[in-house]
Amino acid sequence: MNPTEEELVHQLNQPHRRAGAFSVIVRTYQERLYWHIRKMVLSHEDANDILQNTFMKAWNGLDGFRAESQISTWLYRIATNETLTFLTNKRMRNQGSIDDVDEVLLQNLKADAYFNGSDIQMKLQKAILTLPEKQRLVFNMKYFDDITYEKMEAILGTSVGALKASYHFAVKKIEKYFSEDDEL
Amino acid sequence: MKNNKNILIDEISKELPFTVPENYFNQFALQLEDQIGFKRSLYRNLVRPWMYMAAMFIGILIMGQVFYTVNRNNNTRNAENYEAYVLSQVDETSLVDLYVDEPSK
Repeated sequence: MNPTEEELVHQLNQPHRRAGAFSVIVRTYQERLYWHIRKMVLSHEDANDILQNTFMKAWNGLDGFRAESQISTWLYRIATNETLTFLTNKRMRNQGSIDDVDEVLLQNLKADAYFNGSDIQMKLQKAILTLPEKQRLVFNMKYFDDITYEKMEAILGTSVGALKASYHFAVKKIEKYFSEDDEL
Repeated sequence: MKNNKNILIDEISKELPFTVPENYFNQFALQLEDQIGFKRSLYRNLVRPWMYMAAMFIGILIMGQVFYTVNRNNNTRNAENYEAYVLSQVDETSLVDLYVDEPSK
């Protein structure tokens, strides 16, 4: 039987049980966090690197975790920051290049052996890439994972009202992308 | 043809079009534990309580054995002491009388 959140937090505060508790946390959240990251960076290799960094940061920052938020919220927050940092660095490295980062991400996706979507799913990914990064986050979290706005507020630090508006506009933009793309 | 012009995104499958290498998540957790370096301490945390139990059990066995041996030696020594005490209370003449008279009874 898996330990409860409270039990895990208690174990994390006991030095001799910390490693065991963290191991349970990794196995519990790795998949959710992986998909959260993968939807943003698209490539498996990049998602794998960011996921590793996320857990490394979490492990090194365990002393700072005071259980004021849920473990999942805390991990999502780290993963989101790591992903945004990765994209910012990639953007900076790519400044001299002709292609922008979103175009590079799309090229990587097309070449990725671990993409097996249909044409319409590829088109949806292209449409999502036209959104600003924060809006992409909101869209992915709501559309694919159906995370509540309250939980998203805790992770992203944005108010529920702003998140709802952001998602609404994201949907409109994507639908517009589809309609314009069909007109070409 | 503009058949998708008014497409609603809810009509598109929400299934993610990505895959991962086989056995990826199992491997990921193991590699991460290795990388962080707590595999050894995890092993220690799991094994150490059993090692303590085994050591305690062996300790109890050894103590039991020592106690038994000491107790047995004490009993033997007590018996020898008693015999020596009895003999010391009897003089040689009485002892000879006892052995000489005995067959005639």
